[in-house]
Amino acid sequence: MKIKLFATAAFLALGLAACGGEAPAPAEPTPAAEAAPAPAPEVTPAATADIGAPPADIAAFMKTRHDNYEDIGKNMKVLQDNMKLDAPDMAAVTAAATKIKGHADEMATWFPAGTGPESGIKTEAKAEIWTDRVTFNAAVVKLQEESGKLAAATDAAGFKAQFPATGGACKACHDKFRLEDK
Amino acid sequence: MPAAAAIAQKVWDVPTRLVHWGLAIGIATSWWSVENKAMDIHYWSGLTILGLLIFRIYWGFAGPETARFASFIKGPMTVFGYIPKLFSKNYRAAFGHNPLGALSVVALLVAVLTQVSLGLFASDTDGLFAGPLNRHVDYATAEEITDFHEDFFNVVLALVGLHLAAIAFYLVVKRINLIGPMLTGQRRGDSLTGPSSGIAPIPPWRLAIGVALAVGLVWFIAR
Repeated sequence: MKIKLFATAAFLALGLAACGGEAPAPAEPTPAAEAAPAPAPEVTPAATADIGAPPADIAAFMKTRHDNYEDIGKNMKVLQDNMKLDAPDMAAVTAAATKIKGHADEMATWFPAGTGPESGIKTEAKAEIWTDRVTFNAAVVKLQEESGKLAAATDAAGFKAQFPATGGACKACHDKFRLEDK
Repeated sequence: MPAAAAIAQKVWDVPTRLVHWGLAIGIATSWWSVENKAMDIHYWSGLTILGLLIFRIYWGFAGPETARFASFIKGPMTVFGYIPKLFSKNYRAAFGHNPLGALSVVALLVAVLTQVSLGLFASDTDGLFAGPLNRHVDYATAEEITDFHEDFFNVVLALVGLHLAAIAFYLVVKRINLIGPMLTGQRRGDSLTGPSSGIAPIPPWRLAIGVALAVGLVWFIAR
């Protein structure tokens, strides 16, 4: 009998752990996903920075924003790959850094009213982006500066010295304004 | 319970014990570091685990009797046959891994090896840290591997949980302490299985080859 008990306990333990793994898998709950697309934009008091009016098609706008971040990710990977090389491909590095700088220049316009978690659409953007826009914009400016320096790097040493600062600008903002996807 | 007589038998050699506790510390460190976003620590703890596993696999062929796969991996008949023995009155602790525990050992080794291998290709969300082999896969593949690396840790945790539960079972139900021998290398008792002389010593050159193999392979991957 004890054998069965033990085996059952073991399987239960495995099952529980497996379930524990599945539960957090859907990145964020989307409770109001089927609710009517974004109601009247609930404008959060933004202190001093301009947030921008809600876009006509909120879902499409958020999809484009997501794709832009994916594109930054792809370009970061080009940089990351070159970091591991003794002789990085500086043409590829400059192209990737320039693309990131281009996205950074636009980034402050990517978060108009109505495109946050209250939209009911799956997003990793935290509400703090809208409630603390001044800090958020400062983080965006930081990325513009660091990626600008990176795009201006002319040799391997300059690139390798500047890459951590650029990634650090991404990270600093993510830590504060991006939801952990687990 | 009979009082333990002064018989001590060497069951685990030093390298096997070091690898065991190194893996325990390495897995804990990897978990802690990723939760606290200390990715530089995560990178090195992962590579350390990889080195320990490479050594352990080599030691499964070159190490002493109780460390060898061929001596502790048994067929299904032996595994099932072990279960009634486990619950018999005169059960005695196995010399090394018992047939059922061997399954757990193999599962843990395979799972942790899978986990660190995935980590070699993974990257953090900021693109700031990446595993040493990340540059050999494209962005989308790396993203999928990273997600799987995150999810697969639950399998590792489940197996670690099962491992700890089994140790607790032997301690509480069977009154057999498995932790002591893994610390000291010695099993004490008045009635032991296996050769009373315990495991035979292994020539140092075999150990040296294993260390060189582990360090060399990790260096080759990380360079």
